[in-house]
Amino acid sequence: MRGHALALVVFGAAALTPLVLHDGFFLDSLILILMWGAVSGAWNVAGGYAGQVSLGHSAFFGIGAYSAALMATRWNASPWLGMLVGAVVATGAGLIIGYLANRLKGPYFALATIAFSQVLLIVASRWRAFTAGSEGVPVPFRPGLWTLGFASKVSWVYLVLGLALAVYAVQVYLERSRVGYQLAGVREDEDAAQALGIPSRRLKVVAVAASAALTSGCGTLWAQYVGFVDPFYVFSVDLSIRFALNTIIGGIGTAMGPFVGSILITSLETFLRATFSDVRGGLVGIYLIIYGCLLILVVRFIPRGLVGWFGERFRAMGLHARA
Amino acid sequence: MSAVPQLLVSTVLLGGIYALIAVGLTLIFGIMRVVNFAHGEFLMLGMYLAFWAFTLWHIDPYFILVVAVPLFFAVGLGVYALVMRGVIHASHNVQIFTTVGLSTALQNLALVFWTGDFRFVRPWHSGVVLRIGGGAFNLSQVVAFAVAVLFTLSLFAFMKWTHAGRVMRATAQDGEAATLVGINTDRVYRLAFAIGIACVGVAGVLISPLYSVYPTAGLQFVLLAYVVVVLGGLGDMVGALLGSLIVAAVEVIGSYLFGSAWKEVIYFVLFIAVLVLRPAGLFGQRGAEALGV
Amino acid sequence: MRPRTLALSASALVTALALVGSALLGGSEGQALQGEYKIGLLEPLTGPLAFEGKRHLDGYEVMRDMINERGGVMGKKLVLVVGDAVDPTAAGSEANRLITREGVKIITGTYSSTLCGAASEAASRQNVIYWESSCVDPRFNKRGLRNVFRTEIDGTGFGWYNIEFIAKHLAPRFNLKPNQIKVAFLSEDSSYGQGVTEAARQRAKQEFGMQEVAAEYYAFASTNDFSPIIAKFKQLNPDVVHHIARGNDAVLFWRQSKEQNFMFKALVHAGATGYGSIDFGKALGVDGNGPFVLAEPGPGLRLEAFRPEARKLEADFSEAIKKKTGDEPLASHRLAGAGLWLLKVVLDQARTDELEKFRAAVLAIDMPVGSTLNGWGVKFAENGQNANERVQHYMLQWQNGRLMTVWPEEFTTARAKWIPLGAWDQRK
Repeated sequence: MRGHALALVVFGAAALTPLVLHDGFFLDSLILILMWGAVSGAWNVAGGYAGQVSLGHSAFFGIGAYSAALMATRWNASPWLGMLVGAVVATGAGLIIGYLANRLKGPYFALATIAFSQVLLIVASRWRAFTAGSEGVPVPFRPGLWTLGFASKVSWVYLVLGLALAVYAVQVYLERSRVGYQLAGVREDEDAAQALGIPSRRLKVVAVAASAALTSGCGTLWAQYVGFVDPFYVFSVDLSIRFALNTIIGGIGTAMGPFVGSILITSLETFLRATFSDVRGGLVGIYLIIYGCLLILVVRFIPRGLVGWFGERFRAMGLHARA
Repeated sequence: MSAVPQLLVSTVLLGGIYALIAVGLTLIFGIMRVVNFAHGEFLMLGMYLAFWAFTLWHIDPYFILVVAVPLFFAVGLGVYALVMRGVIHASHNVQIFTTVGLSTALQNLALVFWTGDFRFVRPWHSGVVLRIGGGAFNLSQVVAFAVAVLFTLSLFAFMKWTHAGRVMRATAQDGEAATLVGINTDRVYRLAFAIGIACVGVAGVLISPLYSVYPTAGLQFVLLAYVVVVLGGLGDMVGALLGSLIVAAVEVIGSYLFGSAWKEVIYFVLFIAVLVLRPAGLFGQRGAEALGV
Repeated sequence: MRPRTLALSASALVTALALVGSALLGGSEGQALQGEYKIGLLEPLTGPLAFEGKRHLDGYEVMRDMINERGGVMGKKLVLVVGDAVDPTAAGSEANRLITREGVKIITGTYSSTLCGAASEAASRQNVIYWESSCVDPRFNKRGLRNVFRTEIDGTGFGWYNIEFIAKHLAPRFNLKPNQIKVAFLSEDSSYGQGVTEAARQRAKQEFGMQEVAAEYYAFASTNDFSPIIAKFKQLNPDVVHHIARGNDAVLFWRQSKEQNFMFKALVHAGATGYGSIDFGKALGVDGNGPFVLAEPGPGLRLEAFRPEARKLEADFSEAIKKKTGDEPLASHRLAGAGLWLLKVVLDQARTDELEKFRAAVLAIDMPVGSTLNGWGVKFAENGQNANERVQHYMLQWQNGRLMTVWPEEFTTARAKWIPLGAWDQRK
């Protein structure tokens, strides 16, 4: 259990919080931290573990959000079913993106993913017959487990915690399993990996598709929590950047990185908004400037993110103590 | 049939605008091989420069151009020194996220200081129309087109016939070899970046009478610029001009035939198609994209 | 200090501040102070909708002061606690914060359709009353939520009124029957443009049998040339152009239509953006003569048609807005002011914010058109929506650089001109 120390601390604290704290504001912040952490973790599967940096992951997020909302609105279907359908559709989209990943190098790939998410945005905002167009889709709230409707914040904490644990588990699997080692090989040096007989192209596609499916699942939960799907928000480039941002700051390619990043970024955002809402002028927008600068600094000076950096420190301290 | 002359005019003028934006990008991208995600933000800053100069001091955008060139050149030098220099030799991911971070920071600086209101610059000439042949030419668009052609040809001449241009092309072809023959590649990159930013800043000033000015204006143009640059081939000035005309034609004809709602879809799909099928662009050398990127 | 250490320390410091700050952010838990009543206000104060959000905020604040001069709410001083709803996630979060941290029992706002959905969801889950004054999404009141109310017309209303105007007021003057009118629909593609346009298209076709020759949507921020569309429209030869614009696109389309000599009998728009913005008149002057705009009333309004209490409210409100912003009240100001005033009326009647009694008071109101500061009447349906017929809207027209109120004629001194629009240089 040694490697999971950080996870135990973070997720354990999250699990215990609703028992101790009943403040709705804190619980809401916790839910958002876990939710954004989970979707960043999903991004990490493709961006961190497979080395395919996508800036269009909001495409998959939006697919998940729309699937649940549309199926619930049109056919009274359970959002769990919507989540499944969304995951299937997202996997299909992920296969397309995976194919592109095999054809395009780094920055070109990132550009193509942006274009892809924007195409989905335009389609969603124009195809009124199917998606109600720019007006978005209100998500019906029907209390119950089967309908994924909970008024209580406490239920949501545990629900999202479950999602976070699932995403964490997938990432850990990628760190410890044979598939994961192969993926790491592909990430570090694809030519060498291919020379060793690793099916690098197939692995990349699978990684991207898995990442897509997970992201879509997070999108469904988000839609159920917030209750309204706006195409300009769920398919936005800003959202895609947020997923990557959390992961990079926290530690790309590490299982806890996305969650640590989310703790920092989401708390900062919530705090600033709560403090400065009353103040005229765009002071609240300052956090976004800070994010931009943080991204530049972290990616240059602490490329392994907070988790990587602290990990090094602890290990250094450990060696020192032994000596 | 009477629609054709007007559509033709629209295509050419729109192509000029896109060329203006793309020419700086193809220079930076072609020489430095860095995908600058913040390119659109410098365009946006150029637009705001024109807006504030016009609103506060009633200076016409065409006069502000004179100031914009050295100003954005200096900005380019500054941004290179602070941000870009450290990541030239870094991995793709570092480059991507550095410029994404820069883009986010700049967008939100604009948002915090100038709010998200849609502004416009409306000098006396934004309403002037020239009627030649069967078409109506908007003066602002004509000027933008003329400047685009001027810039493209100047940069082309610069790259082809000056010493500095040749040095740049050499560095673009093979950075290591360039160092071996004594070229200071850092200076080359710095110059390329500064020129590129100056171009896009000027583009922003020139298009300010034509589009709304707002903090995220850069996004739609940057994607478009990349479509053009990829189509026209990296670092190919004339290719950028031709690529712009093609994209403009797709947009204008697409709008006319299918309705303007889908025009963006058309060129995004075109973008992905070009990237997949012919990444060297329509005019570039096949396989060139694999070198050094 | 090494850059890495610096960067890391900065990150750590920021996190620490965030956590400590959140802990210290002890908002009061409930309506603790005697003599004060808190209401939550959610508006987009940052992001692309911020300029309208701030106008809303101004309207609310001015009306709050007016209310406090007139006995406050339920005898207590009205206090507004503000939250920034920049996107749907934030709208839900901020609603939650206002409820749990500030203890509000009523939330109002929220300007945009995409925000009011999320905000009202968050409010409903905590059984808090949601009092919407501006968003027009037609589905807002169709979710079966008992705690959700809206004072403003629903989106179908704008389109509804536009077609009403075209069919009843314009068609006769063109010597055409409504089902002979050819309409070209053009619109920017946000939720607002789509909502209004689709409602108009539906009524035009189903109720009047008008002939729709085109329905085009465009992205307003990335469109700098309407030539392809104008070329297409010229060939289709519509009588009326129904154009929902958002900003500079109105000026651009009007100008390019003139340049390319695109002739039509009338242009109709709805809302305070695009043709409804003072900017249109500033940009075009007399060249902008002609377009009709469905909006809050302006010059030419016969205040005598309002009831006396409403007249006084309108006058005080206008004056206060002028003092605060330097301008005449705009639509966003009026929507906020009227919405908040109605809330006061309800609370004073119910004397509580307990849902069932509040609902009863809301449903009991019955005021004729002309009763509120923007000339509305009030009659809420069971689903919490103020009846479209009571939410009186006005048709204005650009005449010599001023947007004059021209319809309905019993409310106006000015009259519509240039029906049909003649040649471009003949409209003086």
